[in-house]
Amino acid sequence: MYDGGIYRSNELLEMIEDCGGVVIQKTRSAQMFTVTMSIPGEDREGMEKMCTDIGGMVKAVPLAGTEIAVVGPTLGRHHMPHPICDIAEELRQAGAITVVMGLARGRGKATSQISMDEMGIINEYDAAVFVLGNFKSCVEAKKHLFEKISVPVILVSGPMPDGLEEYCEAIISGVGRRTERMRLPEDRKKLEEISEKVESVLRTKRKAIEEDPIFVHPAEIKQLLEEYGPIKESLRPAPIVLHLDGLRLKIPMKENIEAISNMEVYGRKLGDIAKISESRIDDSSMIIRIMTRSEVEDKDNEKT
Amino acid sequence: MEITVTGPEEYGNEAYRKLFTEVMSELGKAVTLEKANLFLDPAGPLFVFSVVLRSRPESKRLADATSIRTEGKEVHITITDENYAPEILSALWKQYGRTRVEQQTRFDIKIDEGDDDLIRELPIASGEDAKQEIVGALWRTLPEGIKARHNISEGRIITIAATEEIVTDEIKEKAMRIHNEVKGDVDV
Repeated sequence: MYDGGIYRSNELLEMIEDCGGVVIQKTRSAQMFTVTMSIPGEDREGMEKMCTDIGGMVKAVPLAGTEIAVVGPTLGRHHMPHPICDIAEELRQAGAITVVMGLARGRGKATSQISMDEMGIINEYDAAVFVLGNFKSCVEAKKHLFEKISVPVILVSGPMPDGLEEYCEAIISGVGRRTERMRLPEDRKKLEEISEKVESVLRTKRKAIEEDPIFVHPAEIKQLLEEYGPIKESLRPAPIVLHLDGLRLKIPMKENIEAISNMEVYGRKLGDIAKISESRIDDSSMIIRIMTRSEVEDKDNEKT
Repeated sequence: MEITVTGPEEYGNEAYRKLFTEVMSELGKAVTLEKANLFLDPAGPLFVFSVVLRSRPESKRLADATSIRTEGKEVHITITDENYAPEILSALWKQYGRTRVEQQTRFDIKIDEGDDDLIRELPIASGEDAKQEIVGALWRTLPEGIKARHNISEGRIITIAATEEIVTDEIKEKAMRIHNEVKGDVDV
């Protein structure tokens, strides 16, 4: 990820293109500019030199190209807005796009609930980090909040709960409800631990995807979509977000589904190699899940 | 402030001791508390927080925060405790209307044809407000989902019992027992 000023950034973007790389995310805030990119390993040295020459710095971001939800029982002042925001920020520093989410009725030991809609929304992300409180018995009693989530779940809690290993991919203890930002050295260490754990969980998910690879890499579809009018005109800060197995497009599905389905990818229509659906959040964004090569072959066989 | 935490989970006890101290300091209430007793039972769930205030919250009259003198038909008031300035002005406006209350400087107020004795006795703050603020701070420290609450207030001691569903007689008794324990040798 390049982090620096806007000065001479066009040279950087040109270099990414010249070496056959891809811009995963580009964010400009006043004179500050960050570019998350994917480039061939042999060009890394040259890219680092270029970034330093134009006054910025470059660092490896292992979570680039992923979108992660950080979920708490609520986002009320009572609960844990501080750890939730700090965790989300740490994951952002590692290159992920993060979303902070509070459940509508997530608080309480006996009364906490998660709705189908909320589960549907969480399942759209690559992984979900659940942040729970300070009492072991309460954390253990709230397993129903994440046991039916189909994406990998990383549980962050105060004490270490027992018997939850089968419901989540990783558990990190030592955070819980608190009223202050995680600024102390031991807190920073804990945040790094969470980030590393999320990275390792997603690495496992990546490997699982590689066993039956997706038909085309999401970044290639992103390049194609960047030329699409409504995306170019979109004022939302990140109109295309990469997932491990697809993309989130922040444009309405109704008006764009036809044009997007008919886009050509390696001689096929995008609609034939991907499942396109409306996001559960609202009708202003859509989810593209790219099919695996075997799924596309099956589809071909069915046709013939 | 002396804090005693009773609960089955060591991690939760320490976390709540820290939370309680931080929330009270953040809201500026830590200095008003002498002692706090936190009873935590997450299995219930039942949480009983009992605090002893340093002094009994009392109501204030206008004379407590000002010096007052009368010259002919005019009453001159000088604010000595600026914290109460908004309440002093609003009490005077309510009594005499804005036209008769003239604020000459930040601290000096003149009233035409005012009644010295009546002005002295005008209430500017009730002890109830101070108590409400402490209760609000305690609610903020309690877990968010524990919404069914029972308050006991007696002199300098405020106790709150909170549970998730119904506040039963046993819960009330338990809260009263903890309240009485805290009361112990405290001069209420």
